[in-house]
Amino acid sequence: MSYLRKLVRSDRIAYLFVAPALCYMLLLVGYPILYNLLLSVQDVTVKNINNGRFSYIGLDNYVRLFTNDVLTTSIVNTLVFTVACIIAQFLIGFLLALFFNRAFRAARFVRGMMMMPWMIPMTVTALMFKFMFSTNVGIVNQALLAAGLIASPIDWLTSPVSAMIAVIAANVWIGIPFNMILLSVGLTTIPAELYESASIDGAGRWQSFRHITLPLLRPTIESVLVLGFIYTFKVFDLVFVMTNCGPVNATQLLSTYSYKLSFSLFKYSEGSAVANVLFVILLAASLVYLKYTYTEEEGM
Amino acid sequence: MRSHSPLRRRKDLTLSAIAVVLLILFLLPLYWTLVTSLKTETEIFRIPPTLWPKTLNTASYAVQLEMGDFNMFRSFGNSLVIALCAMGIAVVLAVPASFAIGRYRFRGKKLIILGFLLTQMLPVSVLLTPMFIIFKNLKLISNWLSVILADATIGIPFSILILKNYFASIPRELEDAAAIDGCNRLGAFFRVFVIICIPGIVVCAIFSFLYAWGDLAYGMTLIQKQALRPITAGIFNFLGQYGTKWSYLTAFAIVTIIPVALIFLFMQKYIISGLTAGAVKG
Amino acid sequence: MKKLLAILMCVVMLTCGVAGLAAAEGKTTVNLWYYWENLSHQAELDKIIQGYNGSQDKVEVVASYIPFADFKKQLSIGAAADMLPDIVILDNPDHAAYSAMGIFADITDKVTSWDGLQYYYPGPMNSCMLDGRYYGIPFGSNDLALFYNEDMLAAANVAVPTTWDELTAAAKALTTDKVYGFALSSLQNEEGTFGFLPFLWSTGEDSYHLNSDGGIKALTLYQTLSTEGSLPKEAINWTQGDVMNQFSAGNLAMMVNGTWQIPTMRANITEFKWNVTYIPKDKEYSSDLGGENFAIIASGHVDEAFDFLMYATDPTRLASYIGNFGYIASRSDVASQQYQGDAVMQQFITLMQYAQARGPHPEWPSISDAISTAFNKVITGIATPADAAAEAQAVIDGIVK
Repeated sequence: MSYLRKLVRSDRIAYLFVAPALCYMLLLVGYPILYNLLLSVQDVTVKNINNGRFSYIGLDNYVRLFTNDVLTTSIVNTLVFTVACIIAQFLIGFLLALFFNRAFRAARFVRGMMMMPWMIPMTVTALMFKFMFSTNVGIVNQALLAAGLIASPIDWLTSPVSAMIAVIAANVWIGIPFNMILLSVGLTTIPAELYESASIDGAGRWQSFRHITLPLLRPTIESVLVLGFIYTFKVFDLVFVMTNCGPVNATQLLSTYSYKLSFSLFKYSEGSAVANVLFVILLAASLVYLKYTYTEEEGM
Repeated sequence: MRSHSPLRRRKDLTLSAIAVVLLILFLLPLYWTLVTSLKTETEIFRIPPTLWPKTLNTASYAVQLEMGDFNMFRSFGNSLVIALCAMGIAVVLAVPASFAIGRYRFRGKKLIILGFLLTQMLPVSVLLTPMFIIFKNLKLISNWLSVILADATIGIPFSILILKNYFASIPRELEDAAAIDGCNRLGAFFRVFVIICIPGIVVCAIFSFLYAWGDLAYGMTLIQKQALRPITAGIFNFLGQYGTKWSYLTAFAIVTIIPVALIFLFMQKYIISGLTAGAVKG
Repeated sequence: MKKLLAILMCVVMLTCGVAGLAAAEGKTTVNLWYYWENLSHQAELDKIIQGYNGSQDKVEVVASYIPFADFKKQLSIGAAADMLPDIVILDNPDHAAYSAMGIFADITDKVTSWDGLQYYYPGPMNSCMLDGRYYGIPFGSNDLALFYNEDMLAAANVAVPTTWDELTAAAKALTTDKVYGFALSSLQNEEGTFGFLPFLWSTGEDSYHLNSDGGIKALTLYQTLSTEGSLPKEAINWTQGDVMNQFSAGNLAMMVNGTWQIPTMRANITEFKWNVTYIPKDKEYSSDLGGENFAIIASGHVDEAFDFLMYATDPTRLASYIGNFGYIASRSDVASQQYQGDAVMQQFITLMQYAQARGPHPEWPSISDAISTAFNKVITGIATPADAAAEAQAVIDGIVK
């Protein structure tokens, strides 16, 4: 009893509080990650998964994957997709953040409403954009035709380059609110006096943006970009539903390729090898991001 | 000051008008989906497209009631159970853990925080294959338990990272006051902290729910029985079956959005605070 | 807290349990998977099953629809997770692959002692076999033909094409703002391969030699049709059902499609006249022998399942439903009596003499994947016919040695 009382008063009880969540995550995330490493050096397919007759084949899966075009295509696609999304959603999000940070009545409400796309399940977003980009009934083609910008409908989702553009557009739509809200919060932390004294000194709008906003917003911008990278790099549902990674791998990403290997071709070990490639890249990005937050947040 | 007033008001109006136009443009995909779900199939194919349904057609929703395994209302219910259970697990596990992280000093704390941060950034596709095999060995494929357990892994780290800031921000004096009242730290946890942090807990609950609601990968991989699948997987199946039947598909999409839209309308404040707190302070 | 968790778990377990308890008591439940998306096919199948369930009180057959695109996935994942039905009705070229995997029951003893066996055509029956053993019974057969909108051809003064040159010319002439001249399902899966093979075979090549004069020529045909705008690129996302719907809606002048669409088309198309003919040829006429087989899952209720198969393949019963599917029976005693006085269906029966089967090969799904990737690359302009053929050949050569 006295031990219990002592425990309750001491800091060590913290372990008791953390333990359930920690065990849960170790069991359901930590263990699968380790298991994934094991899986990727075996030869598990649908043929032997039930009889357990698989053997260790070392790095054969990785060697095979890296000598095959689809993995390289997926890596390139993932990078193109990620970089294009980040640039577009950051720029648009930034402009909107600047706009909504001007004091006017509807700002708060409208900015709030604009968060909607971020909340909608990606499957639904993918479906909506698939419809809007469809060749014959899609509103995108109809609008472009009506405006006279194109002479005949574009095969958005069935041509390689335009399919990539379409999935990027859909993902940017989701990413804009995220960028906008984080940058907005960052902007509100900049003291208004700084701008006032700058304008007294005769600084124009561009100059105060260049010399006050940008430098002071730098930490926010950096974390928004790195978070954007992490969230975009792992996108799965959107592309899987919208183009089914096609036409012919033109929108194949690392995440979807891993899924395809495991659950369409039933080469579980190869699927987990691709997942590990994805994992390593994201781990590196996460550590970069964490370095920022660590140096910023004291006493964490 | 007063002389500026009319000018300022006009500026306010102009900016507000621009904002509303931007909003309409931005939410156009949602509007387009809604009107499409209410059009007849022939009207959807009309050129030029009609901006609102000329003849209101609710058959796309009604027909769902008669469909067996692909019934969207059934998969709606499946999603509801899955998302609520995942939310329950996430909240129940995250609240004490974040309390400890926010209020106590102990060895290994930094490492634990780091671990949760990393898992928050982990993509579903990395875990999918090993999870499938693990759950298969446990004979839990096509059992809701597997998806619920998997979906909760998205909500837990997010909730802990948000809530630890809430708990940490409570002034020491409150804890001391509780201690004077005869509570030990454990008592204080329940009587003071949890009550004060209810807004934070609500944010966590909402996000854990939404993560599970929006999940497709776990739902369609771990559940193979059509009748047990969540609504996102239902949409995906539907796309395979009715690839070009847009009135059905958009109706399905609208039904999927309904809970999200309701939560959004009533809890907007919480959501935005949660998003910024979770992502910026991470 | 723990209590809450426990309650949550109970709720989950309970709901899962209730969902699984739907079956009738006392009867053995035999689950059946099929992939017909067409509602009339689903209704016909339901009639057979209801008839069987009412005819005895030991077995209850319960059917589940699985989308075609998902079918092989469900079968393989089901095999991995040990959650298979008892019977599947599957696409015949895939049969050998799953037999080789050990999923299907070897029913050689039952089949060889069955008096129905002698009536079955060798083509469909072979697709149920692997290494001389029987792993299933054919459900029914079908083949592909060229469908054309007679009104459109007449209005454009275009003759029914019989060769590839005529096909490309006719397709081009029939293409307008609203109508594509020609389409066929070109999905990157078995459905797409099914439509492509008659063109490949027509050049005299077989399925395993895509990187040949004939293979490249067939791919070039797709390329020509696509670049001239007469074949919609969206066809790479269209199922055969989608193509049929587009044709029925008057958006297509010609299509390659199968017998099983005919009952639906007859019910839906009232505004124009249509007809069927041979698929235009390069060297010789060709068609694809399609169809489904019944297979019994090795780990399932094999005896009960076989009993249902005997019920469903009984000649008089078969004759009563197979026509409603738009199928040609796989047994001669039934097929010879089918579609008397039905000119369109007679055309398909004539075409049967040109119809070849795919495989059977235990790795057919991978071969088919290589072929369908090739024509997808050509249609979307990602690769030239020669490059696409070479890439596919490399994959096929890795499989067929």
